[in-house]
Amino acid sequence: MIAYAAFARSGFLTSLAYRNEVWANIFGKLVQVFARVAIWLAVYAGVTAVDGISISDMITYALLGGVVMGATRYDRIVRQVGNALKTGDVAIWLLKPVHYPLYLLAIEAGMSAYTFLLAVVPTIAIVALIYGMQPPASLLHGLMFVGFCALSFIIHFLCAAIFGVLAFWLMTVFSLEWLLQSLISLLSGLLIPFWFFPEPFGTIASHQPLAWLVYYPSAVWLGRLDMGATLLYFGIGLGWAGLLATVLALLWHRASSRITVQGG
Amino acid sequence: MTALIEARGVSKRFRQHKRFPGLLGALKTLVTTEYTEVAAVSDVSFDIAAGEAVGYLGPNGAGKSTMIKMMTGILVPSAGTLSVLGRTPHQERMANARQIGVVFGQRSQLWWDLPVVDSFTLHQRIYDIPAARYADNLKRFSDLLDLTPFLDRAVRQLSLGQRMRAEIVMSLLHDPKILFLDEPTIGLDVVAKDAVRRFLAEINRERGVTIILTTHDLQDIETICPRLIMVDHSQLIFDGELGRLRAALGSARRLTLEFATDPGPLPLGTATLTSDEGLLKHYLLEREDVSLVQVLSEVGSERGLKDVALHEPDIEEVIRTFYQRRNAAAAAQ
Ligand SMILES: Nc1ncnc2c1ncn2[C@@H]1O[C@H](COP(=O)(O)OP(=O)(O)OP(=O)(O)O)[C@@H](O)[C@H]1O
Ligand SMILES: [Mg+2]
Repeated sequence: MIAYAAFARSGFLTSLAYRNEVWANIFGKLVQVFARVAIWLAVYAGVTAVDGISISDMITYALLGGVVMGATRYDRIVRQVGNALKTGDVAIWLLKPVHYPLYLLAIEAGMSAYTFLLAVVPTIAIVALIYGMQPPASLLHGLMFVGFCALSFIIHFLCAAIFGVLAFWLMTVFSLEWLLQSLISLLSGLLIPFWFFPEPFGTIASHQPLAWLVYYPSAVWLGRLDMGATLLYFGIGLGWAGLLATVLALLWHRASSRITVQGG
Repeated sequence: MTALIEARGVSKRFRQHKRFPGLLGALKTLVTTEYTEVAAVSDVSFDIAAGEAVGYLGPNGAGKSTMIKMMTGILVPSAGTLSVLGRTPHQERMANARQIGVVFGQRSQLWWDLPVVDSFTLHQRIYDIPAARYADNLKRFSDLLDLTPFLDRAVRQLSLGQRMRAEIVMSLLHDPKILFLDEPTIGLDVVAKDAVRRFLAEINRERGVTIILTTHDLQDIETICPRLIMVDHSQLIFDGELGRLRAALGSARRLTLEFATDPGPLPLGTATLTSDEGLLKHYLLEREDVSLVQVLSEVGSERGLKDVALHEPDIEEVIRTFYQRRNAAAAAQ
């Protein structure tokens, strides 16, 4: 356990080693969040509400997307797992009394914490000052939002790690990274909330695991779910996380035993 | 005394999908179920006792790295049994990992972006090394290998020699009982090689750490390892003391005689003339029992002999002779 805390800390410190990236990071995120806000401003031009959702709701939604998705980098995880397996560098991890997937999770947590504090918080603050941001629907909703953010990070990590391990058997790391990016843009709710999806796509989208990346955390903040539903969907999200963790563990086991038995 | 490492008929075969050349071949490769088998290690057995230092030697592709990987538990043998510290390495990889240290010359285990000392602290956490023990080891090893000047520098900024020294120190911080090194001196200059060799020899002598190292540099073996295991084409071909190998091959010493004036061809009964440059004549002393005095008395004092040089065979020559004889024997069969 101590080891994993140390990994998280070193993930944080490693990011610190590249502190020039912070500015590039802030700038990149500003552009993204501004772009999403601008799209909604254009969509809402001359209209006060669409399906009972106001422009102010949508700006808040766009900002929340930045909060939950701004820090974790799926591309980094996919690449790290994929390359470690393909180049055989993973052997070094098999030599240590450490579980490699947990190591990755700890490192990513440290790196994400760094990006969150130094890039996400300032970006969101700037945009919120300019366009305004709604507070959470209630104190309880606000607290649940924090829980949903943690769940979002875990599911995000698990999906990316699964794609990384798949690179061992399928195509290139690059194409898997690209595939995951497309899936996330479409199915996490980052670009368009599911309440604007035509049925039955809205229902389908809101039951697959990527929905917990952006859609549910934001919906909870905005009070689109009452407390009962909030807890229910939190439970379902935990279920998805458990399932994904099992899939990752199985795939990891297969990949690493293939390396030790067949030599890669 | 029981052995620390026991290998009994250990083999490793790698199976690879057969590949066919050309465009049609590429399609055929996709659907084929044919395999080619590569025997990387074949029926190798040995025992290594606590405190030994063993050099694992052989030409490229002989199966040295494969054997190291099996002993460290990251490759599973195809046949035979392997026991390291009483455990089957790949079955108890984690427990095994805590008691061994591993250095791969070709692969860094340090954290690229962090200062060297941060990699060491992470290592401390991974292996639960008590603080006092850790500080003590770090100080001793850093002094011996002169790491202190660059402990605070990021690993990516180190030279290869500095990095290798840091790798070796890290692999020893948790007091492993066995240290495996796969080509630890590869790419190092003479000075760095020398520092690493002396350090490893000392660790083996003073701390009793068992050392198994593979190398292409015979000097490594000469300084660190009294015992030599030689492999070729996946098979074990020699296991014993370096001195025994020398003796078995007959220590053919080389003798050079220098004359003031060319005495003409000068065949001797005690030594074989191998090349004649006039003033300089080279001989091979094939028989152990012939002494230099006997040779010189055969040459006599009236030939104008100016100088004599006797070369003991060095390890490279011994091993070259060994391979040559083996190949000749194989050809004769
Ligand atoms: N993962 C693998 N898959 C297939 N074949 C392999 C694999 N690893 C090694 N081999 C083959 O096994 C044989 C032994 O390889 P190994 O790396 O053990 O040699 P080595 O003695 O360490 O050589 P070198 O001195 O070049 O490092 C070689 O023929 C090599 O091509
Ligand atoms: Mg090798």
